[in-house]
Amino acid sequence: MSEKYILLVEDNRWDEELILRALEINRIANKVVVAHDGAEALEYMFGTGAYDGRDVMDLPTVILMDIKLPKIDGLEVLRRIRADVRTRLVPVAILTSSKEEKDRVVGYAAGANSFVRKPIEFAEFAQAVGVMGLYWLVLNEPPPPVEK
Amino acid sequence: MSLAVGEGAGAAAPSDPVDPRAYASAVLNILDDSALEKARLIDTQRAVFSLLQDIADEKDRLEATQKAVLNVLDDAAWEKSHLIDTQRAMFNLLDDVASEKARLEIAQKAILNILEDFDLEKKKVESANIELRGEIAERRMAEEALRKSKTEAEAVSKELEAFSYSVAHDLRAPLRAVDGFSQALLKDYGECFDARGRTYLQYVRESAQQMGQLIDALLSLSRVSRGEMRRERVDLSDLARKIMAKFRQAQPERQVELVVEEGLTARVDRRLLEVALSNLLDNAWKFTGKRAAARIEFGARAGVRPRVYFVRDNGAGFDARYVDKLFGVFQRLHSTQDFEGTGIGLATVYRIVRRHGGRVWAEGEVNRGATFYFTLEEGNR
Repeated sequence: MSEKYILLVEDNRWDEELILRALEINRIANKVVVAHDGAEALEYMFGTGAYDGRDVMDLPTVILMDIKLPKIDGLEVLRRIRADVRTRLVPVAILTSSKEEKDRVVGYAAGANSFVRKPIEFAEFAQAVGVMGLYWLVLNEPPPPVEK
Repeated sequence: MSLAVGEGAGAAAPSDPVDPRAYASAVLNILDDSALEKARLIDTQRAVFSLLQDIADEKDRLEATQKAVLNVLDDAAWEKSHLIDTQRAMFNLLDDVASEKARLEIAQKAILNILEDFDLEKKKVESANIELRGEIAERRMAEEALRKSKTEAEAVSKELEAFSYSVAHDLRAPLRAVDGFSQALLKDYGECFDARGRTYLQYVRESAQQMGQLIDALLSLSRVSRGEMRRERVDLSDLARKIMAKFRQAQPERQVELVVEEGLTARVDRRLLEVALSNLLDNAWKFTGKRAAARIEFGARAGVRPRVYFVRDNGAGFDARYVDKLFGVFQRLHSTQDFEGTGIGLATVYRIVRRHGGRVWAEGEVNRGATFYFTLEEGNR
């Protein structure tokens, strides 16, 4: 219940593998739950569909999410998470390919806590993922649990 | 008296010897007759008197009338002189009128001439009007065409935006995989490869990174053509110094002399000029990489309007024969072996300068450095 874990929302299986590898290289051994599209991410967060019956009070410490996602895009996922009293405080870090100004504006406007571009060069990529993991899992003080 | 009278009445006197009685009676008769006559005379006298009285009255009246006539005549005389004056004045007036008329005629002629001219002019104006209407119609058509192409251009621009968005997201993901898994192979399975195999994997990684740079440069190029221009006063000297400071920070081991002319401000789009100056200075930085005493200069030519800015270096320079290829997309005058680069930087500079209405050109010589000139407003070179 109080175990710190990451919800990774990533549709690209190569990126998924590289992120997991980067976490491993950075010795971040926390559990990682992977959702492969926006709909799956929402089912996980609200205990519906494939995740029916999941304890929704068991919130991830941080959600690492791409913006461009199949079915329901990252911005919409973010908005729905922010709109629900149970999930609105969960830190969400956007990890995406683009650094387009437009993406950043709408990302922050929808309630993102962080915006990081995935570098192509793996050393930089691994470093970025490592820094993010350490920051959100270790350094950052999470929001207090939601009262029932 | 009575005798004269008796003598006078001879008609009644008998020729016979005088009979006293008859005489008496004749005298009495005569007397009677004369009395009658006297009365008649008196009457006549009276009538004459009355006539005379009447005449006197008439005379008075006549006198009054005469006086009145005289007065009238007096008045008439005055009137006459007055009339003469008036007549004279009239004559003068008529004289004046005559000369006025002559003048009027001249004026009328002039006016007629003018009217004729006017008519001519009017015809000219009318034909000009017709021409103008034609032009307006043409213009309207042109405007309509322009509106249409603008709408089309906007649609294309939107599509382009969606396209570059997709490029930004989707093209980079496979490259991350290429680089990431090559790196993973080298790290985790390095001993499975011989030296040549490891070199090849290294090439795979370099290619992925090169392509990543290309994608970024292309996105930047398409971005400078999109979006609105916002001109504001920008201190280009300051901007150049800040850009160079970043290069120095990235490569602190390099010794490069930087000369920046102070106070070069211009009304430009800050974001675009930052991209343009970064590209030019990055080139200068890159192509002086093999110089022991590298020198990069940013300034403006003195006394030229519009102002001509320049970025000068004493680096590798270029073959002036290929100068026209410099600003084309993907054109490179050096191999990537010698100097890395995308071949998009100067094309980006060209677009930015053109968007400001300016021109960009270059001078260079192999191994003698290069100078890139540009203006940022309309005008001749």
